[in-house]
Amino acid sequence: MAGLEIVQSLINGVVYGTLLTLPAMGLTIIYAVLRFPSFAVAAHATVGAFAGYVANAVFGMPLLLAFAAGFLVSGLVGVLSDEAALKPLRGRGPLTVAIASIALTIVLENVLRFAFGNELRGYDVPLQRDWMISGIRIGPQQVVNLVVSVVLMLAIFAFFKFTRAGKAMRAVADNPMLASIRGVDPNMVRRFANFFGMALAGLGGMLIALDTSVNPLVGFRIMLPIFAAAIVGGMGSVPGAVVGGLTIGIAEQMSLLVIPPIYRTAVSFGVIMIVLTIRPAGFFGERGN
Amino acid sequence: MLVSSSSRLISRRHLLGASVLGGLSVAILPRMAFAEGNGPIPIGTLTPLTGAGANYGGRMRDAVAGVVAAVNEQGGIIGRQIKLISEDDQTNPEAGVRAARKLIDVDRVAAIMGVWASAVTTAVAPLCWESGTALFCTSGADSITRLPHKGFIFRTEPGSELQAEQVTVFMLGEGARRLAYMGPQTPFTEPSIQRMTKVATAAGAEVASIIYESEKASYRSEVDKILASKPEFIFFGGYAPDTVVLVKDLYKAGYEGRVVGPSYVIDAEFLKTVPNEATEGAYVYYTATSNETGAVDRIKSILKIDQPDAYTCQTYDHANLALLAMAAAKEASGTAIRDNLRKISQGDGEKVGFASDGARLLEEGKKINYEGASGPCDFNEIGDVTSTVTSFNVVKGGELLPYK
Repeated sequence: MAGLEIVQSLINGVVYGTLLTLPAMGLTIIYAVLRFPSFAVAAHATVGAFAGYVANAVFGMPLLLAFAAGFLVSGLVGVLSDEAALKPLRGRGPLTVAIASIALTIVLENVLRFAFGNELRGYDVPLQRDWMISGIRIGPQQVVNLVVSVVLMLAIFAFFKFTRAGKAMRAVADNPMLASIRGVDPNMVRRFANFFGMALAGLGGMLIALDTSVNPLVGFRIMLPIFAAAIVGGMGSVPGAVVGGLTIGIAEQMSLLVIPPIYRTAVSFGVIMIVLTIRPAGFFGERGN
Repeated sequence: MLVSSSSRLISRRHLLGASVLGGLSVAILPRMAFAEGNGPIPIGTLTPLTGAGANYGGRMRDAVAGVVAAVNEQGGIIGRQIKLISEDDQTNPEAGVRAARKLIDVDRVAAIMGVWASAVTTAVAPLCWESGTALFCTSGADSITRLPHKGFIFRTEPGSELQAEQVTVFMLGEGARRLAYMGPQTPFTEPSIQRMTKVATAAGAEVASIIYESEKASYRSEVDKILASKPEFIFFGGYAPDTVVLVKDLYKAGYEGRVVGPSYVIDAEFLKTVPNEATEGAYVYYTATSNETGAVDRIKSILKIDQPDAYTCQTYDHANLALLAMAAAKEASGTAIRDNLRKISQGDGEKVGFASDGARLLEEGKKINYEGASGPCDFNEIGDVTSTVTSFNVVKGGELLPYK
């Protein structure tokens, strides 16, 4: 029985962790190229959740198309909001831009609040009971979430490894001046990183809203664990974001076997402290990718 | 180096003089807006427009704004118009204290209304009783009215311990012997569990409980833990955003037992958010509501909605109670509200459900008894409303139907 409980908690942790990995990857991609921690990933997760909601519940699109809408809309909003609010401040240092990204989060959250109100909303998707396999329960929706996350993770690895745009992004992340000399346009790469990072955050927001509800606080629910995942994995490292997300997810869920649930957030911070004490740059350091 | 030549034109003497004048104006100007002057009577709302309570706070503020607009249209109270100042507590005690400070020190409001979260109410309460400002809240924690508040706090939400007791009696009456409670960490959670356990164990039943951390994206492990106790009835003690996740996670986990929650959580909006299969058979408890005086109809017309939630009804009552107490006192201040509120809210006077109607009767020298949208609005000596849980509905096909 205890063994089953441990396995169940482990699975719950993997499922929760995969929810964190997409926005954490978005955060870490933006950090790698633009060199500041963008708190606006939380707001873009919310934008993605609302875009998916409009596609699915208002226009009646199937979930797959709604995922695409969430991805594209949050990516576009990411590029536009960066151009308008953050780019002009980039010369003033990463701290200034990071603080401006908090302001941007508040602005975007309130734009959604004015447009949609504070009400809770749900996707037009039937709820399914979990499958019971040898005493362990696994949810069909969680499997979909897992598959979407894993496919995207693999696509991102392939993108960075094999495509010209991916190599250009890595080049700008490593040395913007050298990349510029080699003919890579850093501005375009930064725009692309923003689009990609915020689109991933938006898709992650939509996956979370499927399990919770669509409301202006979707991103706020996961902001701390996203940062915890990115920091534990190593800021700037895409594989690190995946490992960090899974670490935080599994640690939070498995900790409930021994401590009360009210300490879940404290567990995230505990993991950060332990990992950074042993490896100050996180699991995969800053240049892990 | 950074001082331009033009700035030298401002001499130290001029600067000193300007500072003194500025300081005096800061000290004097707010007095012009003070509740006890002859201008509009300032009253404030401190509802959660952002944060966890945001899905309630907007309607709560709008209900008060609707009352103020209607009263002003009919000539105001004691010959003065009402000025409403609304602030957002962000569902956060620290932000709540800052906003309350502004309402009290700058706007000089006679009353702060619509304070929702127990933690926020607990934080702003000392500011109110020390400044003589009436505080109307919808918070459930019993500890609030046990504070040394000098009579300035009025709570229209029945105490959470009493609610827990009555819901436990309901679950036992439905034949359940293994009960469970799932609620977030709030000032009222632990006392509610203790009261529930006391009532249940006296009847030979068992209680399991989980206090969870709010605003999480998943409660799968919390659900697994509570289901290990094989509950027949689960009582939801949290708010709508987290309860949506819990209801979904319980359904996914295969839970076949019954659940019960308050009407401010499981309402029409909640039922639209969660697929019907997960809410089928859920019970919803209500505190006393009344349309005897037409108060509920007036809220519906103000907000243009069919089914106002309990908090909106209570905040509508806050505005009417505060205005009527000031009308009875012929004075606009928090102390006047404190000293006169029970004179207009209970007793054998003529029943009224709207401030302007009551103020007219008071001017004619008649006694009134305000009966609001949230119930009779009678208060005991520590400021608690005396009404209790009175009815239960059940969810069938996504609709709320009367049960008991």
